[in-house]
Amino acid sequence: MIGYTLRRLIQVVFTVFALTVLVFLMLKLMPGDPAVVMAGIGAELEVIEGIREELGLNRPWPVQYWRFISGLFNGRLQAMTYHRSVWSVIFSRLPATIELGIFGILIALVVSIPAGLLSAIYRNSVLDYTVTTVALMGISIPVFWFALMLMLLFGVVLGILPVSGRGTSIALFGIQNLRVSFVTWDGFRHLIIPAVALASVQMAMNARLTRASMLEVLRQDYVTTARAKGLKERVVLVKHAFRNALAPVVTNVGLQIGTLIAGAVLTETTTAWPGIGRLMVEAISRRDQAVVFGLALFLAVFFQLSYLIVDLTYAYIDPRITYD
Amino acid sequence: MTKKRRLYLEPRDILLSLLLPGLGHLVRGFWEKSLVFFGALALFGTTMGMAVAKHRLTWFAGTDDYWFSSLMLFLFLLIVWVFAQFDLNRNIKSQSAKQYSFGYWALTARRFGRDAKGIMGLLIILLTVHVAIFAPFFSSGHNFEGVSGYVKPIQHAIKMNLRDFQAAPSGNHPLGTDNFGRDVLDRIIYGSRVALGIGVVATLLNMLLGGFLGLIGGYFRGTSDAVIMRILEVINSIPFLVLVLLVRGLWSGGVLSLMLTLGIFGLQPARIIRSEVLSVRESDYVSAAKAIGVPTWRIILKYVLPNAIASLMVVTTMSIGVNIIVVAGLSFLGYGVPPPTPSWGAMLQEAQEYMRTAWWMAVYPGLAIVITVFGFNILGDSLRDVLDPRLK
Repeated sequence: MIGYTLRRLIQVVFTVFALTVLVFLMLKLMPGDPAVVMAGIGAELEVIEGIREELGLNRPWPVQYWRFISGLFNGRLQAMTYHRSVWSVIFSRLPATIELGIFGILIALVVSIPAGLLSAIYRNSVLDYTVTTVALMGISIPVFWFALMLMLLFGVVLGILPVSGRGTSIALFGIQNLRVSFVTWDGFRHLIIPAVALASVQMAMNARLTRASMLEVLRQDYVTTARAKGLKERVVLVKHAFRNALAPVVTNVGLQIGTLIAGAVLTETTTAWPGIGRLMVEAISRRDQAVVFGLALFLAVFFQLSYLIVDLTYAYIDPRITYD
Repeated sequence: MTKKRRLYLEPRDILLSLLLPGLGHLVRGFWEKSLVFFGALALFGTTMGMAVAKHRLTWFAGTDDYWFSSLMLFLFLLIVWVFAQFDLNRNIKSQSAKQYSFGYWALTARRFGRDAKGIMGLLIILLTVHVAIFAPFFSSGHNFEGVSGYVKPIQHAIKMNLRDFQAAPSGNHPLGTDNFGRDVLDRIIYGSRVALGIGVVATLLNMLLGGFLGLIGGYFRGTSDAVIMRILEVINSIPFLVLVLLVRGLWSGGVLSLMLTLGIFGLQPARIIRSEVLSVRESDYVSAAKAIGVPTWRIILKYVLPNAIASLMVVTTMSIGVNIIVVAGLSFLGYGVPPPTPSWGAMLQEAQEYMRTAWWMAVYPGLAIVITVFGFNILGDSLRDVLDPRLK
């Protein structure tokens, strides 16, 4: 188990390394000079040269790559357009995304698990058809449009929820970058629309997964046995079926991190939620190579580690699975 | 004449079918089939009617847009007419010879015919494709005041007309107009070309490239497999949308480069094909074929690909939907289809600014995305049930 984890970790390091090289090459091959963008319109040639010198843009590529990587690891790499270090930019935005993501996952699970279970228990009923159809609709709806519609309905037409932004947030433990907003009423109201929008796809996917998993469990012999020995249906479902049906659903949450990040990019941009998804779009449009690079590295590591954790959780939950 | 059943195609049937496809079927008692033909005729007839009614004056005005749609209309009608003859002949023959086919595809087709979900998905997709092909016939085509001479139909979806700035839905503009006074319905209709075009081409590229890589990796194993899998891991180490956003955001570019970007980086099919190939290559019939010296390319074509085709079809259908959503998302962020080309995602981006004043700009393009993607998703879902009953 430890050997497997180590091997996977080494693999993650190599994959992420290759990705950073890929992203670096993309950054270097892109048209448009960041120094020119930073200097502004009508800047003197000397100023542009100065910026180039300062950012090391006139050095050979391997040197620049090393500057990026080492700068990220010792935390000294400066963002090109934010006048702060890259990590401080990313970490000032991260809590908002994590908050949004956690609420999104929670909403998705709270809605989708009961829906999926009921739809499997009452298979081929009106309820089942409704759930499966709505779930299929759910994976067909673009998150950003869903967010727009929620904003239109609850923000513009009904006027009961704020349309954009994060509202008031409170710094945790007095750390300025570690701000949470759901603890305040205003912040909580701001959180609802982006979280529900972000949850929409997860909701649909998890409902389908729960249904399939529950149907699979209900076909198992031990369920038949439990019924045959005269247990009440409620006991069969709660004690024998639910637990086994929900294990794959819960571990699958880890595999949906990718969809969640992609969804966060769109949802945060739509609802002006100041998280790392919006930071990505911003940094790209500002041609801030350092932030784009750091963010790509961060997302890749995060994404890969969550996959690794899912695999390890599988082995932990199901003793039949061993990695060696 | 006796009531004896005629078991061959008669001149009368040919004549009736030539007169109106489906009539021959109706007379010979294949009324379900005749309904399909009548339905197709009604659809193409309506399309033609709209074309004639709206563009009477400019029918053959010599623009590529019209030519394409007119040619397609003619082709489709020709196909309906010719196919009616062949189909009637086939039906009568199989009726007389009592031929029933129990092959895999025949059974699959029968199962699919009973699956309402799949049929509905197919109908939605066919309608979307129909609208995309005949876009100039369906677009409103009303001329701008003050614009003299001939105006290409697509111009209604592109050109500014500030006199109609954000007009609410009305008879003249069923779905309203946007912040440049362009008709929203026209833009949605032309947007379907962009969405479907990019979605389909990108998916085909995914299938070709991903399928090829998966096939090579799965069949030859060893070093090539390891290299391919590492490439896939690197590409998959960051969410697809973020990767494509990076590429597009840093380079920008037009529709063609968008297709290429999605086509090259969406390599998901490779994994599916690879696992399929891995299981097939261990089977006894492949070993037998190898033993008698069948060349590798023939084994791949004859044994490996047919086994992978079912999952390929499902993946293709689903990923067209995914690609349409990704294109919409990229366009929404401003890195997809460049303006002024009408695209659903870009329309939503413009709509966001004016949500308080023009709700129709935000609602309808999104509905178009949802309906189209829903069509592909339910078709894919149904194909999965139908093609591989084991998975149910």
